[in-house]
Amino acid sequence: MSLAAEAFVSQISAADPWPENATLYQPLGEDQILLSDCASSLAVQAYLRMCNLPVQVCCRPNAEYMSPSGKVPFVHVGNQVVSELGPIVQFTKAKGHSLSDGLDDIQRAEMKAYMELVNNMLLTAELYIQWCDYNTAAEISRPRYSSPYSWPLNHILAYQKQWEVRRKMTAIGWAGKSLEQVYEDVSQCCQALSQRLGTQPYFFNKQPTELDALVFGHLFTLLTTRLTSDELREKVKSYSNLLAFCRRIEQSYFEDSQAGSSSRGFSKGPSLF
Amino acid sequence: MGTVHARSLDPLPMQGPELGVHADDIEVPDVEQETKQEVLENKDVIVQQVHIDGLGRTKEDYLTYEIADVFRAKNLIDVMKRAHKARQNLLRLGIFRQVEVVIDTSQGVDALPNGLDVTFQVTELRRMTGSYNTMVGNNEGSMVLGLKMPNVFGRAEKFTFQFSYGTKETSYGLSFFKPQPGNFERNFAVNLYKVTGQFPWSSLRETDRGVSTEFSFPLWKTNHTLKWEGVWRELGCLARTASFAVREESGHSLKSSLSHAMVIDTRNSTILPRRGALLKINQELAGYTGGDASFLKEDFELQFNRRLIWESVLSASLWGGCLLPIGEQPTSIADRFYLGGPTSVRGFSMYSMGPQSEGDYLGGEMYWAGGVHLYTPLPFRPGKGGFGDLFRTHFFLNAGNLCNLNYGDGPGAHLRKLAECIRWSYGVGIVMRLGNIARLELNYCIPMGVQSGDRICDGVQFGAGIRFL
Amino acid sequence: MAAPLELYCWKGAWGLPSVDTDSLIVLAYAKFAGAPVKVHKITNPWRSPTGVLPSLKTTEKNTGSLSKPSNIIIHLRKQKYNADYDLSAKEGADTLAFVSLLEEKLLPALIYTLWVDSKNYVDVTRRWYAENIPFPLNFLLPNRIHTQQLDRLRLVRGDPTLEPGEQLEKELYYDALECMTLLSQRLGSQKFFFGDSPSSLDAYVFGHLSPLLKIKLPNGKLQQHLNSLDNLRQYCSNILVLYFPSEDREPTSHNVSVHSESSDFDNEPHKRRNQILSVLFALGSMLGYAILTGIVSIQRVPQAAIAGPQHTESRGEEDEDE
Repeated sequence: MSLAAEAFVSQISAADPWPENATLYQPLGEDQILLSDCASSLAVQAYLRMCNLPVQVCCRPNAEYMSPSGKVPFVHVGNQVVSELGPIVQFTKAKGHSLSDGLDDIQRAEMKAYMELVNNMLLTAELYIQWCDYNTAAEISRPRYSSPYSWPLNHILAYQKQWEVRRKMTAIGWAGKSLEQVYEDVSQCCQALSQRLGTQPYFFNKQPTELDALVFGHLFTLLTTRLTSDELREKVKSYSNLLAFCRRIEQSYFEDSQAGSSSRGFSKGPSLF
Repeated sequence: MGTVHARSLDPLPMQGPELGVHADDIEVPDVEQETKQEVLENKDVIVQQVHIDGLGRTKEDYLTYEIADVFRAKNLIDVMKRAHKARQNLLRLGIFRQVEVVIDTSQGVDALPNGLDVTFQVTELRRMTGSYNTMVGNNEGSMVLGLKMPNVFGRAEKFTFQFSYGTKETSYGLSFFKPQPGNFERNFAVNLYKVTGQFPWSSLRETDRGVSTEFSFPLWKTNHTLKWEGVWRELGCLARTASFAVREESGHSLKSSLSHAMVIDTRNSTILPRRGALLKINQELAGYTGGDASFLKEDFELQFNRRLIWESVLSASLWGGCLLPIGEQPTSIADRFYLGGPTSVRGFSMYSMGPQSEGDYLGGEMYWAGGVHLYTPLPFRPGKGGFGDLFRTHFFLNAGNLCNLNYGDGPGAHLRKLAECIRWSYGVGIVMRLGNIARLELNYCIPMGVQSGDRICDGVQFGAGIRFL
Repeated sequence: MAAPLELYCWKGAWGLPSVDTDSLIVLAYAKFAGAPVKVHKITNPWRSPTGVLPSLKTTEKNTGSLSKPSNIIIHLRKQKYNADYDLSAKEGADTLAFVSLLEEKLLPALIYTLWVDSKNYVDVTRRWYAENIPFPLNFLLPNRIHTQQLDRLRLVRGDPTLEPGEQLEKELYYDALECMTLLSQRLGSQKFFFGDSPSSLDAYVFGHLSPLLKIKLPNGKLQQHLNSLDNLRQYCSNILVLYFPSEDREPTSHNVSVHSESSDFDNEPHKRRNQILSVLFALGSMLGYAILTGIVSIQRVPQAAIAGPQHTESRGEEDEDE
């Protein structure tokens, strides 16, 4: 969101309380949503639950195009539309709900840095695996992404998206990496997170912050999504404190909904138990 | 008009002095001496040969249909008439720059004494013509490149290509047109296009990429067109402040539809007709040949014109249409009807009538609109006979309604819904004709029956277009 | 083990050991880890073993040459030149996190201010690269890098219609300013990020911040903010003084500062001379063409008949004109 728009949004939205009918939009859970979108959506849902803000999840096949920035998920609150975790955190802060108020400067710096670590490494790795790995793209990503559309539009859109993501990978220098190197990067990232988490319940001791929501979103999705190989899941599982962390958050914040995964708006695999 | 040179036979002796007859307008044959004309008319002739000179790439067999009629002429005046008609047919094909007719006595070994040779001297159009325009419009400049190839394969096929490169959008169109040999009214065309449009009244941006094939044929007095069209539609919001209802429509969809149109047009001109009537009925069925969109759309247009005293013309028109979705999917904003503006119900802003959400107009599934106009020449007739004839004053009364129907209710409920909340307007204005295609209007309008949510433009309103209510 | 590693980097200017961020990172790390690399400062990317700069030429058969800073640092670590040896596991994790922060929040703004912002690009970046890259690359390369960087920004932001302008600048700079403030808070009053000896994170931060500090840009909002953060400014100068002392005495810095102050007048004499020369050339060629094709003809008239034949001369010219 642009700076001017942000200022405008925070001025206007600060006046209204969080409405009851706030809605979160994401692609179709059963057939369409992909790994990276699922992770982002789950992160936002976790964050809103941590803030105790009610939100309904609504699935639309064109959610990606409805979003003002082109990225999912986005929330429709009152008459504002805000997409992606960063702007949503700022939006809720303007309404007076924040999880990171109790942190000091150094901790806040670290929190922001670790959030960027997740975005830079985990999210990029997820995009790479989905679209740049030949097998995954052909068997999973392309069929799922284009499932709401009819022939020949489904092929055109799927290939267009794949080409776009591949160009992005080339621009940031990931195109030369092999799948093993990407798994290695994910492992390194998990190791860093595991080190930082240590034995604490949450990253900044007693209270969860947006960093916890983001890490939970990505790790939970990696653990519960069935891909062409289980290697990634095993790598993440090998960090036991991260596994415990995900279970803890799932129990604390998602237990009130049904145990099945459909209500969370994503599919593929049961819960962690 | 062209010239027809004919050397006639001397009526009395076989080999007499040659007389030249020049006829510029065949409808009014040149009256020379009574006796000669009489003889010319009564003289039996046989057309022995009909040539076409100057053909390059055009195939001869294609043209035989156009000129075959000339052989059936029985006397000289008949020959001239049929030759003239053949000339018009040849020009209508759009492959010749000019056509001249020369009628001569038969020469050669097997020439009959009353035999005639008719020769059409043609100049073909160039193989390829190009055009380059620059256009400046609403905050956008664009460069338009056009390429036309008439008569590509020798049988009046036409290939056109247009490419527009603008600061905001680019679009292109490629089309191929082929008439049936011998029957120009029957033709088919294939089009490939990409068009982008911005609709500020709905805060919508639309990009269409599509292919269509159409087939036209006349049937008794009507003209029919059958068309299949496949379009990839991409909708997006024009601004960040677009309403959520429009935002929900963003995305891609595929429409594959069959449509049929029937036109009966007995008017004497398309713009400012003085007499005649027009009936156009259009229907479109989407969804049964693939694609995401699934609906049945009906649309009709009716117009009557009648001359009254003092060169004034009374014109009445009626438009209507309805869109029926098939299946549970709701209709798309790009398929619905829009109403209002200087080309339909005057007095209202462009397409700013009917269902709307936060200032963005969403269109309706059913509409009707009617207008009654009285066209008179300008008062005091300035520039009579020349420039002034391009203008008319008109007094108009427009009415219309646009709404969504709940198809569960019966037809009685539908009619009632259409009859309530009618918007109407009246006023006076000046109309200017642009060639034979378009017209400009400057009107003073008074809108009435305005419903909440409509945007009006009362007072002076300017309009330009090709299709007016 | 004793075979020297060769490092190819961009040349330095403005008091920096190199003008390119990636080269700075690698140079700083090599100094911090005490790796004996032979540094080649060049300005022609084609002369480097991998075609891009920086690149490290190793003598090992199966690695060949490496090009990205992360790969180069990993290789140096494998050769036991490890500046992160003393870091704890948590500090290692922090390194990864802060490097990601730099890449996500600061690097786009850095790219924008050097390569996409019109005034900066034309006045400073393109000029330096055009002057220093050998012919004929100096016509092609700066423009190509400019387009590449703009495309990269577009892809990363996900908006193919992005144009350089105030809006984009505001968004990028907001993120960058926040990032710099966070770095400053994390650094505090320490000498380096993790205690008293520098590590790879210091190399990354140095590589990203020192160009902002040292290169004088006409549009210097990022510079102003960095200057207001005393500890970061001190930190960069510290590293420069400690590890790259020879660069401070670079003569080019003088010329460049003189250039930036008197940029308008500097080329004045040349500019005027070039203008006059080009006008004369154009006139001369037009006149030559006119004479050669006969549009204008110069007739020699004998001295005696000056008054009379003036009419004929002019008439002659008129005929010629037709």
